[in-house]
Amino acid sequence: MNKEQNTNAESFEQCLKCTVCTVYCPMVAVNPDYPGPKQAGPDGERYRLKNPVFYDDALDLCLNCKRCEVACPSNVKIGDIIQSARLKYSSKKPKLRDFILANTDIMGTMASTMAPVVNFTLGLKPVKAVMDGVLAVDHHRTFPKYAGQRFETWFKRYALKKQEEYTKKVSYFHGCYANYNNPKLAKDFVKIMNAIGYGVNLLEKEKCCGVALISNGFKNQAIKQANLNLGSIRKAVGRGEPILTTSSTCTFTMRDEYAHILELDNSDVRSSIALATKFIFELVDAGKVKLVFKDDYRKRIAYHTPCHMEKLGWAIYSTSLVKMIPGVDFNMLDSQCCGIAGTYGFKKEHYEDSQKIGESLFRQIRDLNLDMVATDCETCKWQIEMSTGVQVENPISIIADALDVEATQKANR
Amino acid sequence: MSKEYDVIIVGGGATGAGTARDCAMRGLKTLLLERHDLSAGATGRNHGLLHSGARYAVTDQESAEECIRENMILRKVARHCVEETDGLFITLPEDDLGFQSTFVDACRRAGINAEAIDPKEAIRLEPSVNKNLIGAVKVPDGAVDPFRLTMANVLDARLHGAEVLTYHEVTAVVKEGDRVVGVEVYDVHTKEKKTLRSRLVINAGGIWGHHIAELAGATVNMFPAKGALLIFGHRVNNLVINRCRKPADADILVPGDTICLIGTTSSRLPYDQIDDMKVTADEVDLLLREGEKLAPELAYTRILRAYAGVRPLVAADNDPSGRSISRGIVCLDHETRDGIPGFITITGGKLMTYRLMAEWATDLACKKLGVDKPCQTADIPLPGSDITEEDRYASGSDLGGKAARGRHGSRSVEIKHKDRYDESLVCECEGVSIAEVNYAIDTLDAKNITNLRRRTRLGMGTCQGELCACRAAGLLSKANGCARKSVEDLATFMNERWKGMFPVSWGDTLSEAQFTSWIYEGVCGLDAFDKKEE
Amino acid sequence: MRFDTVIIGGGLSGLVAGIDLVRKGQKCLIVSSGQSALHFFSGSFELCNKENDPMKAIASLDACHPYSKLGAERVEALAARVKPFFAELGLNFKGDASANHWRMTPLGVMKRAWLTLDEYATFESETEMPWKKVSVLNIDGFLDFHTSYIAAALEAKGVEVAVASLSAPQFDKLRESPTEMRSTNISKTIIGEFVDALAEQINGKTDGSDAVLMPAVAGLTGTAEVERLKELVKVPFHFLPTLPPSTPGIRIQMMLKKYFQQQGGVYMLGDSVTEGRFEDGKLKSIKTLNNEDTEFEADNFILATGSFFSKGIVASQNGVAEPVFGLDVDADSDRTNWYQRNMFDAQPYMTFGVATDEEFRAKKDGRPVVNLYVVGSVLSGFNAIKDGCGAGVSILTSLNAADQIMNL
Repeated sequence: MNKEQNTNAESFEQCLKCTVCTVYCPMVAVNPDYPGPKQAGPDGERYRLKNPVFYDDALDLCLNCKRCEVACPSNVKIGDIIQSARLKYSSKKPKLRDFILANTDIMGTMASTMAPVVNFTLGLKPVKAVMDGVLAVDHHRTFPKYAGQRFETWFKRYALKKQEEYTKKVSYFHGCYANYNNPKLAKDFVKIMNAIGYGVNLLEKEKCCGVALISNGFKNQAIKQANLNLGSIRKAVGRGEPILTTSSTCTFTMRDEYAHILELDNSDVRSSIALATKFIFELVDAGKVKLVFKDDYRKRIAYHTPCHMEKLGWAIYSTSLVKMIPGVDFNMLDSQCCGIAGTYGFKKEHYEDSQKIGESLFRQIRDLNLDMVATDCETCKWQIEMSTGVQVENPISIIADALDVEATQKANR
Repeated sequence: MSKEYDVIIVGGGATGAGTARDCAMRGLKTLLLERHDLSAGATGRNHGLLHSGARYAVTDQESAEECIRENMILRKVARHCVEETDGLFITLPEDDLGFQSTFVDACRRAGINAEAIDPKEAIRLEPSVNKNLIGAVKVPDGAVDPFRLTMANVLDARLHGAEVLTYHEVTAVVKEGDRVVGVEVYDVHTKEKKTLRSRLVINAGGIWGHHIAELAGATVNMFPAKGALLIFGHRVNNLVINRCRKPADADILVPGDTICLIGTTSSRLPYDQIDDMKVTADEVDLLLREGEKLAPELAYTRILRAYAGVRPLVAADNDPSGRSISRGIVCLDHETRDGIPGFITITGGKLMTYRLMAEWATDLACKKLGVDKPCQTADIPLPGSDITEEDRYASGSDLGGKAARGRHGSRSVEIKHKDRYDESLVCECEGVSIAEVNYAIDTLDAKNITNLRRRTRLGMGTCQGELCACRAAGLLSKANGCARKSVEDLATFMNERWKGMFPVSWGDTLSEAQFTSWIYEGVCGLDAFDKKEE
Repeated sequence: MRFDTVIIGGGLSGLVAGIDLVRKGQKCLIVSSGQSALHFFSGSFELCNKENDPMKAIASLDACHPYSKLGAERVEALAARVKPFFAELGLNFKGDASANHWRMTPLGVMKRAWLTLDEYATFESETEMPWKKVSVLNIDGFLDFHTSYIAAALEAKGVEVAVASLSAPQFDKLRESPTEMRSTNISKTIIGEFVDALAEQINGKTDGSDAVLMPAVAGLTGTAEVERLKELVKVPFHFLPTLPPSTPGIRIQMMLKKYFQQQGGVYMLGDSVTEGRFEDGKLKSIKTLNNEDTEFEADNFILATGSFFSKGIVASQNGVAEPVFGLDVDADSDRTNWYQRNMFDAQPYMTFGVATDEEFRAKKDGRPVVNLYVVGSVLSGFNAIKDGCGAGVSILTSLNAADQIMNL
C-alpha cells in the first residue's frame, strides 16, 4: 500500500481501463456470455461494493487462467478479484458433480484402490452416458486413468529407506495426480534427485493443494486443506528442506492462491515452494550439479506453457532443462490456454468452449509433427492428449528418460 | 405577440425545478429557464447528502427540523434518487466525548432519531470507520442524487404542463413601470434573443440569483462561500460518516452510487469568481488529512476528482467562515420589500430543503395570483419513484439494465431496446447502455456529453470518460447529425473532466490522465478541436 | 542466472534494444511487468511531427531533449536503420525520415507521421485527397470507430463518401456481449474462410469508389488475413486506427516478442523487478517478484519501463520517483507546477522522467550508474505528444543503447 499515491497494490482501482486484459482472455474470444476480465473484475467490483445484487453468475465462466493478470500493465489482480467475488457472492450451490471433481484426493483414494475396475468402468460407454446425463461430465472426456498402486505406497515400500543415504534433502509435494494417476512422474522425480545426490522426503501430511476446491466454490474445505499443507511445509522448511513439486498448478496454488484467494499468510514459506525443474536448473546453472544424458535419446519435443506456469513466470526453467538434452529437437509453442483449466473442461456445459479455446494450440501441435509435447501441468496433458493424440509428458519425466543415471551419479559424487 | 405565462422561474437547479413542478401542479402556466444545463450550478456540486439534520441540531434547531422533515418526505416521493444508508457521528480521541450527549439531546429535540451506540457496534455496521473511535451516534442520514432529483422534478413539471428551456440565459428583466412583466432571454444554441412575458418571475438562481435580482432592480446580497470536495473511486463506506463535534472542514464522508465523497472546506469567494472555481492544493491536502480520520482507507483509495460548489447564503453579517449563518430559507416578496411587484426571490436553504423552498415560493406566487390550491409535492411521488427497493435492485446478468433501474427507478421501463445493439455498454465503468444514452437524448434533454453525464453517470467512473466519451460523442453525432459539433463537444467534455482531475493527479489518477492524453491527443488528435476559450 | 544484458521493460523500447542485441549474439533477458503501450498504437510511428521536415523540427528542440543529446547526425543515422530493422521481422512500413507524411486519426484529423504500417491509409498532402469517392465501412455494432467523423472530414476535403456497414453472424455473436465487441475480438473472428466472405461483402459495398477505408480490426497474430483482404478487395483497401485496443499494435508487440525469443532471448512477462544490487557505481544484478531467490546478473542493464502509465516513474502527493531502483528523476517537486488547466496545453508532467548523463546512463544520487542505460518514455526532457516523437525516441534511444553496449 502506498499512502502517498492513494494506491493499494491489492486494489482493483489501479485499473486504467486500457482493455489490454480483454485481448488475452481465452473465454471472451469464444463465449459472449462471459463479461470479460475487465467487466467481471475491476469494473464489476465497484458495483458489487455498491450492492451485492450486481454480482453476475456468469463469472463462473472464468477459467482462472490469470492470463489477464499477466497481461495487465497496471498489476491489477484481475483473476483474483474474480475468484474472490465468486467465493464471496455466488449463491449457486455446487453440484454433486462439482463435489466429485473438486475432491481429487477422495476420488483418487477410492479409485486407485479399485483402479482396474474404475478405469474399465469410466471407459464404458453406458457409464460415460450416465456421467454425461446425470453428473453432466462431458462424455467426450477420457477420465484420467488411475494407477493400481499409489506413489505414496510405492515410496514407503521401495524408496524410503534408500533416502537415508543422502545428507542433502528435499521435500516433495507430489500432488494428487502423481500420487493416483501417474506415479511414474513421482518416481522419475525421485530418480533424478537421487542421481544428483539429493534424498527425497515426503511431507508429514499432504492433502490436495485445493485448486479444484477453490474453482468449484468450496472455500472452507480449501482453507482446511491449505492449513494442513502449510503445517507440513513449515516443518520441512524448519528442517532446511525446500518443497519441490512436479505440477505448475499445485505450485502456483500454494504460493499465490493461498494468500490471494484463501487469505492465508504463507509469506514465511512461499519462497521455499518451487517446481523441481526450477530447483534443478538453478543447481546446474550454478555449476553445483551436472546432468549427463544418454547418447541415443532422440526426440522432437515442443513445450506448452500452462496458464499457471505463465503466471509463475517459470517456463524458462523447464524449457532450459529440456533444451539441455542433446538429442532434443526443441520447439516452443505459443503461450496460450489449452482450454481445460483444471476441472472446468470436464463439465458438460463447458466442453465446447473448452475445445474452441484450445483449437489453435492443437493445430500448432499437429502441424509440428512432434514425438511429444512437454508441459508441467497434468490437466493440460489430458486435454492435449485427448485433442491431438500426441503424447504429453512432464519435463521431469523427459529428463528422467533421457538421463544417464549412472553417469550422472558419478558426476555428482 | 408571444403567449403570457403565469410564472417564469429562473434557474434550473433543484429549487427552480421543484418550484416549476409545484407551480405546474397547482395549475399555473409555468416556464422554467436555465442558462446552462439542469443542475449545473450548486445543485450538482455538493455532497449529495440526505441530511438527517443532525449536523445542524446543536447550532441551528430550525434547520435541523426542516431537514428531518424533508428527509422523511424525500424517502417517500423520490425513492429512486435516495439511498437509505443511515449515518454515524463518530467521536475520535481528540474530540470531546462530552459533546455527544449535547448532540443527542439536540437531535431528539429536533425530532431526529439519534441513538448513541457502542463503538464496536459502529465498526460492525461500518467496517471502514476509524477503529480508534471512542463514541458513535447513529442517525437517519442517507444519500441523494441531485441530478436525478432535479430531472425528476422537471419531468413531472412537464407532465403537469410546464415548459422547460435549458441553455436559455436571462439577459434582462422586463418591467412595465416598477412591475416585472417578463424576461429577455438569449438562446445559447440559436444565438437569438427573445422576450418572454409572465405575470410573475421567480428568481431561483441560487448564488447567480444575486445578478438576476440586480437585473430586476433589487439588491439581494448573496454570500458566496466556496466548499471543495473530493470524489473517491469506489464506495469505501456504506454509512455516511460524520464527526460528532461542531461543524468543521471535511468532516462528512458520503457514499453515493458507486463512489464516496469527502467534504467540505469553507472559504470566502469574491462574487466575480463564482463561475471559475479552482480547488487548491491546500484544500485537497486538508480534505485528505481530515477524511483519513473518518475512514483511514481513504489514504489508499484512488481520488477521481476534486470540485467545488458555492453555498448560496444570504449575507446577514460579516462572518468570514459562512458557517454561523443559518442555512434557513429566504423567500423575498420584492413587492413589499422593494416596491417591485411581479418579482419573487427564493434562496438560502440547501439541497435538502429544495422542496420546502419550492412550496414557500409557490405559496407566495399563488397568493399573488389569487390561486387557492394546496401544495401536494410532499405526498405525490416523483416520476421514477414508484418502485420498491427489491425491484430497484433485482438481480440479473444485464449490468446496463440493473444500473439503469437503480438510476431511473420505475421510469427505466422507458429505456427501450430497439435493436440488438442497445444493450451494449457505452460507459463500462458505470454500466450505461446505448439504450440509456438514447433515452437520455430523446427524453431527458441531453444535448451534449456533459448533459449525458448528469442524466446517466456516463463518464463519472474510474476512467473519467477515457473509454466512453468518444462512443457517446458518436451516438450524439448520430442524433444531432453533425459530426464536427460532436467532436468539439468531445474536446470540451474531456477538458471538463481534466479540470476535476488535475488537482488530484498523482498515483493512478495521473497514469489515467496520461493514458487519456495519449489516446485523445496522440492517437485521435482531439486537440485540433479545442476551443481555447479559457 | 547470468546474462549479457538484462532489459527491464518489454514494450517497443525494450524489444527493439533486445532484438538488436540478440542479433549481435548477446544473451538477453527482458523482464516485463505487463503488456505495453503498443496496444494503443495509432498505426504510425512519429519521429518529430512539429513540421513537415522532421530533421528540421528536431534541430529546434530543447537541449534536454533526447534527440538533442543524440545530436542531429546520430538521429539521422539511427532513423535510417529503423525501416530495415522492422522489415526483417516481416513488418513493413511506409515513409522515411526525409519528410513526414500524413495519417488520418479516428476523429478524421490529419496528423504528421514518420513510418506508417503498410495497411493503413497515408496521404501526401493534408488537404488534397487522392480520391474522388471513398467507401467508409464499419463493422456493424462496433463502437470504437465512427464513420461519421471520417466521412465529415473527407467531405470537407471535397471527397464523396459512401458509408456502409459490414455484418455477419460472427459479429452478431460478439455483440451479444455488452462490452466485448472490441477491435481485437473482432479480429479473432476474421480468420480462415471468413476472410474471403468478408472481402466479398466489402466488394459489394465499394460501388464506384476509388478506395475502401475501414477500422483496423484484422490481423491480430500476423499479416496473412490483411494480405488476403488486400488481394481480394477490388479497390485499394486501407485501415484507419480505432480507439484501443489496437489490433495491428498488438501484432507488432507479438511479432517483436516472438522474434526476440526465437533468437534466443528470454522474455519474462508479468514479472516485476523488485530490487537491484549496486556495487562501485555499477548495477550488478536484479531480483524479481516471481523469482524472489534468483539473482539475474548481467554486464549491462537497460531501463525501458515507460512513463507514468506503466509505472516507469510514479507520482505521489509530494513528488515523483523512479520506483525500481530509486534513480534520480527530473521533475518539479511542487505538484501545482505539474499541470496546465487546459488539458490540451503542454502538460509539464509529460516531460518528467529519469535523469541521465550525456550517454543516457541513469543517475543515482547524482552520479551515473555506468552500466545502466535509460531508453524510451522513461527518459526525461521531452513531451511525446507535443513534440510528436514518442515512438522515435523509444526506437532511436534503444538502438543507441544497444550500440553503446556493443561498443559500436
